[in-house]
Amino acid sequence: MRGLRLVALGLCGLLLAGCAAPSPESLAANDPYEQFNRDALRRNAKIDKYIVIPTVEAYFSLVPEDGRRGVHNFLGNLALPTIFLNDMMQGEVSRAGKSMWRLTVNSTVGLGGFLDPASKMGIPGHGEDFGQTLAVWGVGEGPYLILPLLGPSNPRDAAGLVVDAVINPTNQIRFKQHIWWSGTRQFFTLLDLKGQSYQTIQGIQRSSVDYYSSLRSLYRQIRNEQIRNGRKKGEDLPDF
Amino acid sequence: MPLSMPLMRRALFAFAILAAAPLLMVRPAAAAQNVAEAFVDENIHKGLDILKDKKLNTVQRRDQFETLLLGLVDVRRIALFTLGQYRRTAPPEDVEAFVGAFKNYATAAYQSYFAKYTNQNLKVIGSTQRNPTDFIVQTQLLEPGSSQQPAEVDFRVRTDAGKPVLVDVAYQGIWLSLAQRDQFVGFLGQNNGNVRTLIAHLSELAVNLGKPAN
Repeated sequence: MRGLRLVALGLCGLLLAGCAAPSPESLAANDPYEQFNRDALRRNAKIDKYIVIPTVEAYFSLVPEDGRRGVHNFLGNLALPTIFLNDMMQGEVSRAGKSMWRLTVNSTVGLGGFLDPASKMGIPGHGEDFGQTLAVWGVGEGPYLILPLLGPSNPRDAAGLVVDAVINPTNQIRFKQHIWWSGTRQFFTLLDLKGQSYQTIQGIQRSSVDYYSSLRSLYRQIRNEQIRNGRKKGEDLPDF
Repeated sequence: MPLSMPLMRRALFAFAILAAAPLLMVRPAAAAQNVAEAFVDENIHKGLDILKDKKLNTVQRRDQFETLLLGLVDVRRIALFTLGQYRRTAPPEDVEAFVGAFKNYATAAYQSYFAKYTNQNLKVIGSTQRNPTDFIVQTQLLEPGSSQQPAEVDFRVRTDAGKPVLVDVAYQGIWLSLAQRDQFVGFLGQNNGNVRTLIAHLSELAVNLGKPAN
């Protein structure tokens, strides 16, 4: 339920931020909480600098690349039931079939998901989440948000995070060490995410005129592309 | 939904590829289907030859790239687009100065990135026509020896200026000019709409990216 806590934290911050009137530029960018978000991004950057990146560097020095890839594959395999459910809720039957096939192949031939033979068999992975499902159902994204630790989001996608955590079948299996299993999984999910992204983030920071706006634009474009599943290219582009 | 692992990698690739992609084109086997595909097919692949020409030194390669790029890309149109609403409110002399600074910044960005992609090729796979003078040419980024799905790189070509020109490039759905416009407008929003501040910042970035601003 890490996602739920982080979303709640973000919403509390927004209530405080709501006291300040947004600028016309922020409203035009559908980012009425921009100053709060910029502060949140700065706080995230400090957490990254002093806690996350040192932890990631320790992880990289202690675990060889093959091991990290195995962890990444394993976590991706654990997410497949959620992806399958979201495929189905979006009516993407063909993609749902691929998700189920990947889960079957990687859980068996792939030794519980640590290996990814499905990709080599021509069944590449794809992402789906409940935020995308809501978008397909016609729910608007709402204002832009920066969540503690997790970064760019919006109310629709933040709600999707919570729903994904709830509907993931692996979170429903109760056993004696459930809390340890769940905590360890979340820790490694965040570690894996940060490990694969922090150099990217640094690259964007170096080449951006305004890192905050750059991240906001990239997030929105990527999410829109994900929601379209790569279809309808160029339909909503502005005129030059 | 925060940016996930592949998405964040995609974001950096977007920044890098969007800058270098026009230089990496290869001629497809099939004949071009329209003027935009022909433009991409017949002109942009020349960049690949420059990239792979081992007889050129670093400065010659950089200069030839710059000349090629500036002949293919409508820098002025892109620069004005990226100013967003501030194009209408900024003093004309500031707008002109911005166009110059943008050109230096964009060129510096291209030059800092292109060297990373010498082993990759782009293949034209089709195009869509948004209106009679606005095309999206679709290509795939091919990496020799890779088992991964080829990345999609799209080029937006306009033909309303008498000849085809490139106005935007997208890597996996992320459009460079849109991202730049959002950045610049966001920056200006934080700096009272002062275009001169943006020009100074762009010039500084151009220096940091490896080329002194003129």
